[in-house]
Amino acid sequence: MGNVPILISNLSKVYSTAKVRVAALQDVSLSLEEGVFAAVTGASGSGKSTLLNLLGGLDTPTSGTIEVRGRKISEMSREELALYRRSGVGMIFQSFNLIPGFNALENVALPLMFAGVAKRERRNRAGEVLAQVGLGARIAHRPSELSGGEQQRVAIARALVNRPRVLLADEPTGNLDSRTSREIVTLLAELNRDQGLTIVMVTHEESLAREFAGRGVRLSDGKVQAEERWR
Amino acid sequence: MRVRDHIGLSFANLWKRKLRTCLTAFGVTIGIGALVSMVSFGKGMQKNVTESFRSLDLFNSLTVFSEDFFTGERFDPDRRPAQPLPSGASRAVLDDAALEKIAALKGVDTVFPDVRIPAIVRFNGKDEFRLVQVIPAKVTSSRMLRFSAGKGYASDEEDSLIISDSLLRQFGVQEPQALLGKKMVISSIGFDFSRLNPANLTAALGGERLPFTTEDTELTIVGVAESQAFAGPIPIQSDVFIPPGVSKRMKKLPFSNIWDLFRAREGRLGYSAINVRLSSPAFVEPVKKEVAGMGLRVFALADQFKEVQKGFLILNMVLAAVGMIAIVVASLGIVNTMVMSILERYSEIGIMKAVGASDRDVRRIFFFESSVIGFIGGGFGFALGWAVSGVINRVVNYFLAKQGVPYIAYFSFPVWLALGAIAFSVAVSLAAGVYPAMRAARVDPVRALRHD
Repeated sequence: MGNVPILISNLSKVYSTAKVRVAALQDVSLSLEEGVFAAVTGASGSGKSTLLNLLGGLDTPTSGTIEVRGRKISEMSREELALYRRSGVGMIFQSFNLIPGFNALENVALPLMFAGVAKRERRNRAGEVLAQVGLGARIAHRPSELSGGEQQRVAIARALVNRPRVLLADEPTGNLDSRTSREIVTLLAELNRDQGLTIVMVTHEESLAREFAGRGVRLSDGKVQAEERWR
Repeated sequence: MRVRDHIGLSFANLWKRKLRTCLTAFGVTIGIGALVSMVSFGKGMQKNVTESFRSLDLFNSLTVFSEDFFTGERFDPDRRPAQPLPSGASRAVLDDAALEKIAALKGVDTVFPDVRIPAIVRFNGKDEFRLVQVIPAKVTSSRMLRFSAGKGYASDEEDSLIISDSLLRQFGVQEPQALLGKKMVISSIGFDFSRLNPANLTAALGGERLPFTTEDTELTIVGVAESQAFAGPIPIQSDVFIPPGVSKRMKKLPFSNIWDLFRAREGRLGYSAINVRLSSPAFVEPVKKEVAGMGLRVFALADQFKEVQKGFLILNMVLAAVGMIAIVVASLGIVNTMVMSILERYSEIGIMKAVGASDRDVRRIFFFESSVIGFIGGGFGFALGWAVSGVINRVVNYFLAKQGVPYIAYFSFPVWLALGAIAFSVAVSLAAGVYPAMRAARVDPVRALRHD
């Protein structure tokens, strides 16, 4: 079990509105071992982001189970899912999703606030993590005063501040130029290598993924089309 | 999430939308202000009456009427029919014998008849018509009368009088102290027996030569009494008081009220009422019983006070209901502001949920924000109500003072009203925050994050 931190079995997600039924994921089964850097690729609409949202506890599956580090998140209550998102997993997004009115430090400290950590300690820990991602000097800047790469670094710091063992990245380079994209993926690879962080990254840049990630999962129409081991 | 963080976050979020926060809180301010001034008015009136009762020793007072006292029900809030007499009792006349019997009862401190003489009071060349009340010297030095200058008369025979400060103002005197020792003329009406023959009486019906005459009595002013702030059936209430000895020597009609004539029994009028002062409120019930056993009707002001209290409860509720209207409107303002805030912060709520905020955290964030609005609005609302009441109080007293009415604080602001206003404001705001908070907690993070 310890060696298989992410175990997905027969996972399906169906979005249904009054008229249409869209099966975003159909019967997906997947297992990822501890400390892996996995890249999920596929065309848009293939279900990549849905898979990541389910893994991150932001959404609940229609059927099937998800186990992350021994915890069945597919069976968690809303309250338990909030706890899981708070400290069990970190997420970053294509559009960074930083709170515009907060500066870098406050954004990074936000998850600690929900965890009930005192203000002084929040600031210390947020400062440390920001330094780790190379933003030690820009803690007082608002997101609007930071470049895209810097914003994504703030988002990474925020995802890591509660020390989760799993990091989920949803198109982290989608809004970045190629040079910055490479920097961000390099940073993720370093975190994977140095801290043993399990990373699942959704991306459509397969060449960049192949360069850094250890495993590749290609989705198509909500199904796993191919699973490859790159290194 | 810690409470401190909740409070800090609320202020930060509200500060970002200063104008809207101020407008919403201002709505609450007006609502609470209206409520506070309404309630403080009700409480102020209640306090005035209660304090007057207490300071004038009214809880120790009884008034005795004869059983068939014609106008008795004027004083009877229940308008109950005359109580049946206890067996063996006969209808008694309120005369000096009855007075002495009552004076001998246990717990009775002072007894004096309620005598009021219609008279013209003349001073500084001005005439004022008043019912002059006759009270014994002992009563003038009791708590039932308060002096703004001078004091009560020393004996029942002294040629002295006491004047109220409101009548004093009617005479154009501002400084009570200056009046002490001055002479004042009481012009009373008496029968002119020389005119009492049938021929004259017939003429009297035509409006001429009534069988009356007037007599002037000059008395020295020894005290200026404070006027009563409220009217009611209280034992000491007049603008001019004279000692019984003076009254005996004066020519006067044996009645002050046409009803007195209907009351006459076997040609004997008796007193229209007797005022009884007890040494303690504990004697009210036993003395009432004894006096009723004498075939007399007793009225305790303490009993009426219960009715008065009931009346005030209703008054306060009506006033509070009026104040509530503004609060309801203000709370709709809060709901509106908070719902707007959810729409604007939709993706922010999604982000907070993505990084671990529980439904409860989100709900509380919104509850705290609306209660902060309520807290600010409640605080300023109390201040507004206090300020407006202060202005109204000054204006009303300014105009009433010109008519000789003594100063009254019409509004009362006890500490509980300040705390209660703020607590109530927060409670209403929390209630207004329920729907927005629930709605915010239900935000789906996946949709919110796609929302950009």
